[in-house]
Amino acid sequence: MKWLLLCSITLYLFGAHKRALFCAGLAAELAYLAVRGIALGRLPLIGPHDTLVFFSASVAVMAIPFCFTSFLAGSRRFSWGAGLLAGLFALLAFFIPSFAMLLPPILRTLWFELHVALAFFAYALFGIGALLGAMFLAGRERPLLDLQYRACLVGYSFFSASMVAGGIWGYYAWGTYWLWTPKELWTSILWLFYALYLHLRLKGARWDGVVAWGGIVGFAVTLFTYLGVSMLMKSSHSF
Amino acid sequence: MSRPGFAGEACLAPTDAKGLSTMFAKLYDRLASLTLGLWLIGGVCLFLAVGSFSGGGAEGSSINDLPLFRWLKETPLTVSWWLWAAIALLALLALNTVLCSIESVRMKYRRTGFLILIAPQVMHAGFLLIVLAHLFSAWGGYKQMMPVQEGGMITCPDGSRVQVANVSATMGPMGFPTDYSAEVRAMAGGREEVRTISPNHPYFYKGFGFYLKEVAVEPYRAALIEIHREPGAGCAFAGALLFTIGNLALLFVRRGRGDSQ
Repeated sequence: MKWLLLCSITLYLFGAHKRALFCAGLAAELAYLAVRGIALGRLPLIGPHDTLVFFSASVAVMAIPFCFTSFLAGSRRFSWGAGLLAGLFALLAFFIPSFAMLLPPILRTLWFELHVALAFFAYALFGIGALLGAMFLAGRERPLLDLQYRACLVGYSFFSASMVAGGIWGYYAWGTYWLWTPKELWTSILWLFYALYLHLRLKGARWDGVVAWGGIVGFAVTLFTYLGVSMLMKSSHSF
Repeated sequence: MSRPGFAGEACLAPTDAKGLSTMFAKLYDRLASLTLGLWLIGGVCLFLAVGSFSGGGAEGSSINDLPLFRWLKETPLTVSWWLWAAIALLALLALNTVLCSIESVRMKYRRTGFLILIAPQVMHAGFLLIVLAHLFSAWGGYKQMMPVQEGGMITCPDGSRVQVANVSATMGPMGFPTDYSAEVRAMAGGREEVRTISPNHPYFYKGFGFYLKEVAVEPYRAALIEIHREPGAGCAFAGALLFTIGNLALLFVRRGRGDSQ
């Protein structure tokens, strides 16, 4: 069924400037995820292939409400940028083999699924925040910064909820809500960084450029937390 | 009997007292400033990042095997310095959070809506409770792992005993257990209590959690049990709950608005 993913990548990369084609790309990707989920008998949230597809779909899902906001409704740049972001992660997933791993007993809990799914929704919103920050720096249009703030605030809320779900799962699975591992340290760094970003807004309009850059740097921290830690460091959270 | 401190105070000239009060006011303003909070968050991030690459915070380090304060006491400063630095900044950040909250409420009281005034402070309170939870766990946490044969007893640090029975496992095609459980028996309220433990389903007894980590069925049935005491768990949960409530309230008041008020 990888043709569904390929179809989605093509639509994201070459048709996302049109909202209808962007939505068609998302529909194809969601269909691919549904097929994977049915084959596995669970949410496809384990391994680099499945998580990258889930991340890509999350970016597209979270971008759609922004495409319809009054400021971005007529802008092709945003939907193209969001399509590029979703398409690149889907493309990366396309070249990584998928596998059907039997779920270890410790991962068979709703808390795990909530923890991972909410984290990817947050990552997606942080990605959209970075995109809006880049658009602000290019054109200095104030509403873009307001939209970036909204994306990051909602993303931060998802991320906090993900950490709460992870803490509850950890307590029932390992007896502690916190372990000193690289992934958990970087998760805390990411959470603190976005707390810093949200507080930066209170410094006033003179800091607008710094705020926009904050959203971009935050997404770099997000990518390191998601991909960098798994690839470069040894962690129980690795793929 | 002379009181040197009192004599010193008596000698304080009015201009000195004014200078002292100005100094304290400046210190308070500095400690309650948003800028300091931003620098402190940045600093904590930096030290945690350093720690993630160092021996202490890396996976496989003994940091997870001991209560944090014991680990800090037993580990050379060359390994644990980043955590000491992060804790120091976090303590200052906690103080800064309290003072910022007080100042925010003081300045906005009766000038803005109740929810918009209180939501960030509820989130701050949640954050502080989570920091406090880590402090409790770092101080009084307990962890021990032990293999127990079926029918064997586990003795808790307080002397109470728990028996492990009926160890069972379902083996997968690769020879690894796909599901496993064990029974634990303990005396509670004058009668025997029997519970089944499995992954994600521990047994809580007299403040200790009993976690089934692994089982073996050959050559004899045995379970690997981990005993935990996490004194900060309740506080962390309360903090997480408060943080979530504040967060939802903030999202509610910010709906449809993009401004930075």
